[in-house]
Amino acid sequence: MKGRTPRALTLGWKWQRILLFLVSAALIAGAPGVPAGAQSPRDRFVFALSGGPDTLDPQATSATLAFQVNKSLYDTLVEVDDEGKLMPALAESWTVSPDGLTWTFKLRSGVKFHHGKTLDAGDVKATLERILDPATRSPKRGDFGSIRSVDVVDPLTVRIALGERFAPFLATLAQGWGAILPADLIAKKQDFATKPVGTGPFTVAEWQRDSFIRLQRFDGYWRRGEPKLREVLIRFVPESAVKIAGLLSGEFDAVDAVTTLDLPRLRANPNVKIIRSVSSLINVVAINSSRPALRDVRVRRALWYAIDRKQVLRTAYGDESIVANEFMDITSPYYVEIPDPYPYNPDQARKLLAEAGYGSGLTLDLALPQPYPVHIEAGQLVQAMLAKAGVTAKPRVVEWGFWLSRVYGGGEYDLTIIGHTGKLDPDGRLFGFGDPARNYVKYQNQKVEDLILAGRITTNLEHRKRIYAEALKIMTQDAMLIPLGTPVNYAATLSTVRGFRQLYAIDTYDFRSTTK
Amino acid sequence: MPLVIRRLLAVAPTVLVVATVTFIALQVIPGDIAQIMLGTDARPEDVARLRQEFGLDRPVIVRYAEWLGNLVRGNLGTSISYHEPVAHLIAQRLPVTISVAFSAMLIAIVISLPLGVIAARQAWSPVDLTVLAGSQLGLAVPTFWMGILLLLGFAAALPIFPLQGYVALASNPLEWGRHLVLPAVALGAERTAALVRLVRASVLDELNRDYVRTARGKGLAGAFVLRRHVLRNALVPVLTVASLQLGYLLGGTIIIEQVFGLPGLGRLLLQGIYSRDLVVVQGAVVVIAVMFALLNLSVDLLYARVDPRITYD
Repeated sequence: MKGRTPRALTLGWKWQRILLFLVSAALIAGAPGVPAGAQSPRDRFVFALSGGPDTLDPQATSATLAFQVNKSLYDTLVEVDDEGKLMPALAESWTVSPDGLTWTFKLRSGVKFHHGKTLDAGDVKATLERILDPATRSPKRGDFGSIRSVDVVDPLTVRIALGERFAPFLATLAQGWGAILPADLIAKKQDFATKPVGTGPFTVAEWQRDSFIRLQRFDGYWRRGEPKLREVLIRFVPESAVKIAGLLSGEFDAVDAVTTLDLPRLRANPNVKIIRSVSSLINVVAINSSRPALRDVRVRRALWYAIDRKQVLRTAYGDESIVANEFMDITSPYYVEIPDPYPYNPDQARKLLAEAGYGSGLTLDLALPQPYPVHIEAGQLVQAMLAKAGVTAKPRVVEWGFWLSRVYGGGEYDLTIIGHTGKLDPDGRLFGFGDPARNYVKYQNQKVEDLILAGRITTNLEHRKRIYAEALKIMTQDAMLIPLGTPVNYAATLSTVRGFRQLYAIDTYDFRSTTK
Repeated sequence: MPLVIRRLLAVAPTVLVVATVTFIALQVIPGDIAQIMLGTDARPEDVARLRQEFGLDRPVIVRYAEWLGNLVRGNLGTSISYHEPVAHLIAQRLPVTISVAFSAMLIAIVISLPLGVIAARQAWSPVDLTVLAGSQLGLAVPTFWMGILLLLGFAAALPIFPLQGYVALASNPLEWGRHLVLPAVALGAERTAALVRLVRASVLDELNRDYVRTARGKGLAGAFVLRRHVLRNALVPVLTVASLQLGYLLGGTIIIEQVFGLPGLGRLLLQGIYSRDLVVVQGAVVVIAVMFALLNLSVDLLYARVDPRITYD
């Protein structure tokens, strides 16, 4: 290519003038605009969620963010009420055989899928067979592993036979991955990931990945008079400051995951309502019992004595958090009152450490997961408290994938701080604790393992409660890990919003009876 | 062989190197998608089963060969977590990133060129010093903070611009522009600050040369000399730096995308890394590498237009 005349530059200047004009014009044209949310009509609800779903196929994900959207698109056979009790949903009623192996569900009649098909037992069969099919590659297939066969008894009756007794079965069906899909579309290999079809209260009108999803009312929804909203716009807003600004300016009707730092400002605003719910999370300082020093129960108890758990919990996770002395969240029906066996006492901690042969000091690694600033803050407090008892904790902040593979999966840590998410059934929380090959704290106790296995196959509620209570007491005695407690979840809405509901333990949102 | 063809052919090995390095890097970092999908509910047997179902249990070299084979055929693979072809995911996001990057660069050039020239012509005057101080400030303010300030000011307190999101140019050009203004300004501010110093220095350098004195001596008007002679020479380094900056912007404006909720390439890349969805990361990196290479090529071609002394034969 050869050089040309200087015209190029003159043209450049002209272009720049034109572009300058265009930019100014755009600025001016933009000026009279009004944000969409500020004048949103009463039947349109704008919700700011911290992130978006990876897929809309309920069987192909395990992400809470996906289930928070999917809850509005699909229904499950049973669902939870605000106390965590399992209630009829697509199944009107159910019975379980005395041996606990056969579950028979009677389906609600006249329930429509979004594409017009009427729900029948064949849909339940096809759905469960789909999640069990390896080709579906479902991360949640293991939860349904006890199913031996699914039979259609009549159009509205389905019978599920289990290969072994599995008490958490009903709770599994209430989880997001228990969503019922239409058999005809399963047969046609429908791409539910981007074209979801369920019986849920809303359908997808538009989905811009990582930006927003617009849901539209499904007029044929089986619950009469619901949903009350015509449209729900879920915006994916990772920045906390932006969420709060949007709520205060009226662009958002509700926001999730309000941090304790933002609470005072929101509480002071009369146009904003704080939705407070005790979470089903249990935050813990996990101890790796496979390490030589930590195998000694005296050392683990010393660590418990050394940490002022109430202060760590309230400072790092919010002053309304509730201290727990066991590895179970306070909202669970299986929570038992256990007195604190090792109340905060640095001197006692030193004494126990000296007994165990660590009187001259002990150095431990403390792995903290990077995506959770609250756990990092808790880690700093724990480090300072342990120092007073003569234990040097060396904190290191690790990326989430690294934490999952090396710390949680590989056991490459001494101490770590993490929150265990809510489970509808205690088995989801406790299974594997007792067998060091199956739990990340490498805790070994045959008695505990036997009790947990017994709880798994016991359907009688009171009997089950006693079994888990005994297991939890032993775990606490052994200082298997140091439970901190349960924090409170905060969401916020404009004060005109009614019926904004966050589901117990599952942490998904239910917009069916929401109005504003 | 014409230069364009030769340079285009040279892009291929560059991309191969980038792709291979990315592949190796992603193999080395701990954690895989099966483990991350299952999170703290992971049972060892579920992790092993998912790994096998996702094909992660096959030897690295087999997976690399397979991915490379697909790449050569123009297939970037299918994302495990999104259940969609990677090419489709990138195609959705590319217009967002390109819009933000180009408008930020446009703002930077439109502001920094005249400002830099004015500052150079009045070197060390109060005007010049103000420009220099302003650019120092622009460089010091972090982009995300600038973004949040702009949002709080012009989207929340004064609701002139939308708080979040992106509207496609084709669906509504006016809304497209409205959604771009704040992210482009936030991102452009820093680039402006960097460019204005360069323009000033470059123009100042040229203004002190003999040919300028000669031109003025033979009676040419100052503005004419500046436009015809000085700028033309001063623009070559500016063009180089501006194009490199644009390349970086195309590589992902992750922070700004995060603040403004823009569904761009940067967020896709970040999500891909967090979830260890390797094909997404590899696909995005390859696309960014190709864009960078093409951008460099077009700038090289542009040199010849700006500076007649440069020829490519």
